[in-house]
Amino acid sequence: MKRNRRAALGAVLAAAMLTSGCLQSSDDNGGDGGDGGDGGTTGAGGSDPNDGVVEIFGAFTGAEQEAFNEALVAFEEESGIDIAYTGNADFTTFVRSRVQGGQPPDIALFPQPGLLLDLAAQDNMVPIDEYLDRGTLDETLIPGFLDATTDEEGTTWGAPMRMAVKSLVWVPKGYAEEGYSLEPATVQELNDIATEIKDSGTAPWCLGYESGAATGWVGTDWIEEMMLRLHGPEVYDQWVSHEIPFDSPEVQEAFEAYGEIALTDGNVQGGGQAIVSNPFGEAGNPSFENPPKCYLHRQGNFATGFFPEDVQGDLDGSVDVMYFPAYEGGYDGNPVLGGGDLAALFNGEDDDSKEVLEWLTSDEFGAEWAQAGGWLSPHATFDGSNYPDETTRRVAEIASEADVFRFDASDLMPAEVGAGTFWTGMVDWTTGRKSTEEVTADIESSWPSG
Amino acid sequence: MTTSADKADTTTAPSAGPPERKPGSAQPMKAVIGVVGIVITIAVVGTAFQAMNIYDVPRIMQAVVAIIAGVGGAGLLFYFINQLVEALPLRLSLKVIPYAFLLPAFGLLVAFLIYPTVQTIIYSFANDTSTEFVGFDNYTYVFGDEEFRRAIVNTLLWLAIVPASTVVIGLAVAVLADKLAPTAEKVAKSLIFLPMAISMVGAATIWRFVYAFEPEGETQIGLLNAVWTTLGFDPVSWLQTSTLNFNDVLLMVILIWLQAGFAMVLLSAAIKGVPEDTLEAARIDGANERKIFFQVVVPQIRGTIIAVFITVLLMVLKVFDIVYVITNGNFETNVIAVLFVQQIFQFGENGRASAIVVLLLLAVLPALFWQVRHFREEEANR
Repeated sequence: MKRNRRAALGAVLAAAMLTSGCLQSSDDNGGDGGDGGDGGTTGAGGSDPNDGVVEIFGAFTGAEQEAFNEALVAFEEESGIDIAYTGNADFTTFVRSRVQGGQPPDIALFPQPGLLLDLAAQDNMVPIDEYLDRGTLDETLIPGFLDATTDEEGTTWGAPMRMAVKSLVWVPKGYAEEGYSLEPATVQELNDIATEIKDSGTAPWCLGYESGAATGWVGTDWIEEMMLRLHGPEVYDQWVSHEIPFDSPEVQEAFEAYGEIALTDGNVQGGGQAIVSNPFGEAGNPSFENPPKCYLHRQGNFATGFFPEDVQGDLDGSVDVMYFPAYEGGYDGNPVLGGGDLAALFNGEDDDSKEVLEWLTSDEFGAEWAQAGGWLSPHATFDGSNYPDETTRRVAEIASEADVFRFDASDLMPAEVGAGTFWTGMVDWTTGRKSTEEVTADIESSWPSG
Repeated sequence: MTTSADKADTTTAPSAGPPERKPGSAQPMKAVIGVVGIVITIAVVGTAFQAMNIYDVPRIMQAVVAIIAGVGGAGLLFYFINQLVEALPLRLSLKVIPYAFLLPAFGLLVAFLIYPTVQTIIYSFANDTSTEFVGFDNYTYVFGDEEFRRAIVNTLLWLAIVPASTVVIGLAVAVLADKLAPTAEKVAKSLIFLPMAISMVGAATIWRFVYAFEPEGETQIGLLNAVWTTLGFDPVSWLQTSTLNFNDVLLMVILIWLQAGFAMVLLSAAIKGVPEDTLEAARIDGANERKIFFQVVVPQIRGTIIAVFITVLLMVLKVFDIVYVITNGNFETNVIAVLFVQQIFQFGENGRASAIVVLLLLAVLPALFWQVRHFREEEANR
């Protein structure tokens, strides 16, 4: 009996060994999608070529998804192409599993260039030069966008179809009425204003990190703003590409400069613990109470979508938006930190997909979405009259006036850092669990070596 | 039956001549039918499923076809396998038949359980895209990672606290409810059992609100802080309080809350199954209630206690939803399963993620063996 059992076990193991192929081969194009993909070119995933249907995956859902679909209607009617959009809040997980499972969509709209480049490196995508006109893009786009989707060899894999501007400070109308300046020229001036507000008995800054599995990203945005302002875009790029280590003095300076704002006693109600547990979407709401419980809310342009309904209903009459200014003694110029949804093509054999992408990434796209609100065109040439209110036009103006535009660094860093240790590190640092030296050293050691 | 047929076979076989067909010799025709039947069945069922994949068949049709082709196909498959086996000489046939009937199930087991397991073990020695072997690098990384060590410690804490607490609480409720009047017992048990109907994610979301924290001076929307501040204390950010792993314990409470009902139902049934005369005998002998419980009742329901304990233990080893939803591993609350999901889906590190699950698998194995052994003992005692 014993011997039999052992023999059976041996047979099972042998069967398993034989059936499991050793490893995936690395030399062929990993993304040979649902239709075999022996076409010779990379990126043969997605639905069948030229079937009139274009499948798009993206990260935005709900109201944004509705607005996106709205913006597609006219194009779909005109071209006869049917666009099927699937939005998934857990986009990163979703698109990665679909691509690795050999079932990529025709087009994906990436909120993070890091993931886009990661999948491009696995030979799943088609470079934009094969379907877009670089010259036109360079003329219309705000400079700096395509750098984010260009890999080390100089191939560009995606183009923006939406812009987010992060270097903004939202204040309630009461802020200007009480005589505080809407155009502080430097971070130092802003800090002086904050101290003034604090002395009047109110915590000046509205700040919240909580964002479910992504808790901490608000903090990374702050560090990026500080890096850009203290040391300028060149050092910023070196930081992103890991040419300078994460625990270098420059980065630690950025942490300290941010700490002066966020962790100074009385600057944020409840201090570090409250920052970490406060949902980012609700962080700005106390500023709309009467009297305001906080005034200064540094957050991207998408923050308006989270404001209370009465504020959203009368945006121009409820809030002012100002530029998060330069740092005195730091980089000489006005940088803007931002982000965007980047469109990339998986299905290189489908002309419909190419047509859709060409339109999505042009300055023609988005008038309907702009009117619906919550969307900014990455093109400087986009017709600003499409934006629904003065506030949005002001945001677009800030972006196009910038001396230099830089993509969100945490989105560009390897996911282990940019969507991992940098987020959790900000949480640990803000709650006082780790010092600046400790947290930067920890993030540095988590940077993948490969 | 088998032995008599065997005997009959052995005695007649030597003298049997070739021209006459004896019951018990090979039947080539039947074998051919069997083989052809198996091939055709697999081909037809396979084509049906493939066709549904290619053509846009309505959902409901898919379901109908799947049931017909699946159940019918399985029936036909077994029929033809039976034909094939019956075609063999009787002695051989009788020996082969149990294996033949096990084969399809066994094949599925290999395809969906053993194959992935072996593949995962192999991937745990490969790089992040599973294209190149890297030796023990993933394991070295995993063991050198502070976050992983923390996850191990936390998982061990979960193991030490949750299964035992669940059993104790379940047992206590079962015993106490047993002393109540029938209606009161039903109500009490229903209330304790109710959380079982809530999904892990749902429960986690509910408890997030219980533990919610607002800065001092704001309205406390969290139940715990509302009570706490009413008593005159300052609000506490419970989930961030990692001193003595306090926040881990807060998360464990959720799973205990979910599972106590399950433990109670099984243990209650077991307690009711304890023969009344053994209790009476103990009472006559002058034992007090405490003695009766620990020395008469508990030994008789030991099997159920262990079964509940191991079931919860295995669940705890895989605990994911609660931690993922409430803290996502922040504030030093990470556990192995969350770490695995972070590595594979957020960071795309197939190798490290595989190494983590392989270690998790190794950790689960002893509990599995224990359960199987215990099950065998139970069977033997029956």
